[in-house]
Amino acid sequence: MAGGTEKFGHSDVDGYGFKRTEDFDYKDYEEFMSQYLSVLARRASRWKDIVGTDESSVSKSSKVKRFCRKGIPNEHRAMVWMSVTNADVSLRQNTGLYEKYINEKLEPKVEESIKLDIHRTFPDNIYFADIQDPQAMRRPLKHVLTAIARKNTRIGYCQGMNFLAGLLLLAIQNEEKVFWLMDTVINKILPDFYGPDMLALKAEQELLGEVVKWKLPDVHAHLEELSVQWCLIGMKWFICLYADVMPVETVLRIWDCLFLEGPKILLRVALTLIKLNREKILACRTFPEAVDLFRDLVKDPSTLHCHTFLESIFKETGSFPESKIKKLREECIERVKKDS
Amino acid sequence: MAAGPYNYSYIFKYIIIGDMGVGKSCLLHQFTEKKFMADCPHTIGVEFGTRIIEVAGQKIKLQIWDTAGQERFRAVTRSYYRGAAGALMVYDITRRSTYNHLSSWLTDARNLTNPNTVIFLIGNKCDLDAQRDVTFEEAKQFADENGLMFLECSAKTGENVEDAFLDTAKKIYQNIQDGSLDLNAAESGVQHKPATPRNPLNTDQTPNKEGCAC
Repeated sequence: MAGGTEKFGHSDVDGYGFKRTEDFDYKDYEEFMSQYLSVLARRASRWKDIVGTDESSVSKSSKVKRFCRKGIPNEHRAMVWMSVTNADVSLRQNTGLYEKYINEKLEPKVEESIKLDIHRTFPDNIYFADIQDPQAMRRPLKHVLTAIARKNTRIGYCQGMNFLAGLLLLAIQNEEKVFWLMDTVINKILPDFYGPDMLALKAEQELLGEVVKWKLPDVHAHLEELSVQWCLIGMKWFICLYADVMPVETVLRIWDCLFLEGPKILLRVALTLIKLNREKILACRTFPEAVDLFRDLVKDPSTLHCHTFLESIFKETGSFPESKIKKLREECIERVKKDS
Repeated sequence: MAAGPYNYSYIFKYIIIGDMGVGKSCLLHQFTEKKFMADCPHTIGVEFGTRIIEVAGQKIKLQIWDTAGQERFRAVTRSYYRGAAGALMVYDITRRSTYNHLSSWLTDARNLTNPNTVIFLIGNKCDLDAQRDVTFEEAKQFADENGLMFLECSAKTGENVEDAFLDTAKKIYQNIQDGSLDLNAAESGVQHKPATPRNPLNTDQTPNKEGCAC
């Protein structure tokens, strides 16, 4: 399978196998791609210098961080993701463990939950829709989710993890690597997001509210006035890490940063979406209008232009001092603990 | 939403609850779009649907909240129950476990909504009669014992789907007419809209002010 960018024009399926919707704007997409291709070419040549000749790993330097923010070329994406998260170390140190997990029995309730969601994962993607296809992704998806649940018995399976695993499979094309990367994401990068009490996930949504209050107080006040709850806005965005929410290429670019920099990236993306739509949000006069707007704004043409959008998540949101975010996050965790 | 006069006189809030995979979103989709979605994506958090119906000559806007069914999402979705005038509680007639969990869903529905909330039990997937795991009679008995309205439906064929949503609305409307549902009470789940130009200060829907309980 080719990456998401080579194939464009009037194909009704994108490079990752997603069927395009009837109202897909081919003209806008072609305009975007004609510019983006030159960005990709430049990035490819720049990356060549840092991946070295053996192309086995990259270090976690400030240069790599800068490079990740500008996008990892498709051909290096799997290696860089595995490398910056140290998932490649887990993979090397645990030979055979993945094979063992996929052959072990799960608790029936967990097994049933996974089974129920396999056919509901990206049904509009040709690799997930077609069971007969030898390249079909349903089997690997089931394997990865089973192995994750088997290794992380406390977490088991959380709805939404299917989209995370599904898109990783499309991007990486190797289920064992996907398993170790996903295991690293749920345990090290976003711990407690997916556990039975989803503590960190809820806290992160509260934190989004605090960040909006800090950066865009008028929007915060307006949404409070309309009684729009932060968990209503952020739930799917944060659980799926924007997979099945935003355009695929944009999600992968977000992940390029997220896997290296952590949950702050999720907040930056959310804040950018809110800031870009500030006027529209302030114009909402009712609660349902606001809910509808938040559902639609992730599909706004600005989100398709992934390069500009990713630039804006750093430009538009201003500084995100680690100490301030950490303090706010701790307060949110305490609040969520108290409420539950 | 278009500016100008309202084209409905009431708003009723509904919630749809039940185990994962019972077909909550498909029922909603069938009701709002009159179509079956074979590969209906599962709901993460909450989704939202609306349709305007007519009961006794009155136009009523149904505002339907479709919730995630997985156990761990319940702590979050519970905050959406408040202010629901109707609760559609769904199980899958081909999976007994989804029926066995009804008492726990019912406890939530009773504890988190007001005493007048109309609870409607739906046995979905009645087109799959060959794989039936729960009989009509025992579900009917459960419904009677708990004072619930009940129908078996099929989101796939559309059978009884309209009736379930409409009968719930009729019952709510009846409760308004006979005075048992007080529209002025907080969290009645019903808002009365005079058919006059909209008041810019008027908000369409105001759930709890305390924000998310999660």
